[in-house]
Amino acid sequence: MPKNNNNLLIFFTIICLQACIITSPDWLKINGITPCWPVILLLPFSLKNSPWKAMMASILLGIFIDSFTISDVSYIPSLFLLSLVWSTYGLHNKKIELFLNIGLMAIFGTAFVGFSIWVQKIIIYSVLRNNWFHSWSIYVLISEVIITGLVAPFVCSWLIFAYKRN
Amino acid sequence: MIKTRRKIGVHLLWKSRFWVLFLVCALLFGIRWTKGAAYLDFYSILLKPILPGTAQKEWIKEGENIEKNIRLKLLEQDNTRLRKALSLKEFNSDQRISAAVISRSSRNWWKQLEINKGYKDGVLKGQTVIGPGGLIGLIDSTTPLTSRVRLLTDPGHQIGAWIDRTKHHGILTGMGTNRPKLIFLNKNTIAKVGDAVTTSPASTLLPPNLTIGIVQFVEEKALPSPYAIVQLTASPEAIDWVQILKDNAKK
Repeated sequence: MPKNNNNLLIFFTIICLQACIITSPDWLKINGITPCWPVILLLPFSLKNSPWKAMMASILLGIFIDSFTISDVSYIPSLFLLSLVWSTYGLHNKKIELFLNIGLMAIFGTAFVGFSIWVQKIIIYSVLRNNWFHSWSIYVLISEVIITGLVAPFVCSWLIFAYKRN
Repeated sequence: MIKTRRKIGVHLLWKSRFWVLFLVCALLFGIRWTKGAAYLDFYSILLKPILPGTAQKEWIKEGENIEKNIRLKLLEQDNTRLRKALSLKEFNSDQRISAAVISRSSRNWWKQLEINKGYKDGVLKGQTVIGPGGLIGLIDSTTPLTSRVRLLTDPGHQIGAWIDRTKHHGILTGMGTNRPKLIFLNKNTIAKVGDAVTTSPASTLLPPNLTIGIVQFVEEKALPSPYAIVQLTASPEAIDWVQILKDNAKK
């Protein structure tokens, strides 16, 4: 595949993913919950690039994603830590593009992001410190982890290939 | 040869058509006694295939709805006049903006809707958003062409509400689930399952008497104050069109 085509593919993939974030299509939901798109975007980029670049990307991505949510809690802290871990782990000639490895990393990443939002909400709203909120949070967390684990291998492995060829 | 006289018997009565008369009389008596039940039943069976079925029901319902609408208008006019006299916030049904839901995130970490009307159409932060069934949320932010609605179910979202029957106030708090929690302001609040929850008629932030939901569960022994779990009457997951009330904006 020519280099220019790869650039084009990456560009369109990012556009498509952003469109998915904004429109949140019903056919990509499980129990009404969408995949964790920031994790899907950040994972391949962090694996391929240096920690410095990955951290910068995580902050920019966090700012972008936060603009589409009600601004009380933020994605930035969790994405920042994830980018650091993933970029340090890196590809290093590993066959990381294998389907299950990517899926597993996305699952752990989504769980961490979800847990961070959960904790932030509890810190900000004292009224949420009861069983009703926790049961709902577990429900969202599990659903999000499942759907991201299903979607991520397809998108992330393809993105890693595209990054490598670039 | 003398002919023998024929025996006198029942067959003579039969032949003399006495029984016909008897039967007719019995039938008439039966009809009178049952008040024509057999006739009416037979008539109803005959009419069954050509009777106006559901259409008739709809006409009657339509008529009832028209009557109720007229009564509602009169009551609203009355209510507006009285609210003006008491200097309370008005609920003006003419100042509404209809908008379509363009993106929905009603079950995620954030409970929000994106609608296709922004500040160019007069939508402002803090305005009330209603859907079929009642209140669904408040405008959180606006762009020139779109607005973001924070749903009542969003974790931590709080608005004032009251129980219409007992006239007690509380704070409706979103818990993430489809059933927000109504935390009462005093301990002596007695709410029952099935009570209607509405916005307070004395509210200065929200339009008065908007339906929010129905009480599903009451915990009277909770500390520091009792609470109730409220089932919302408007379901944000199924709503495609909403209306924004213009009269409670933060300018």
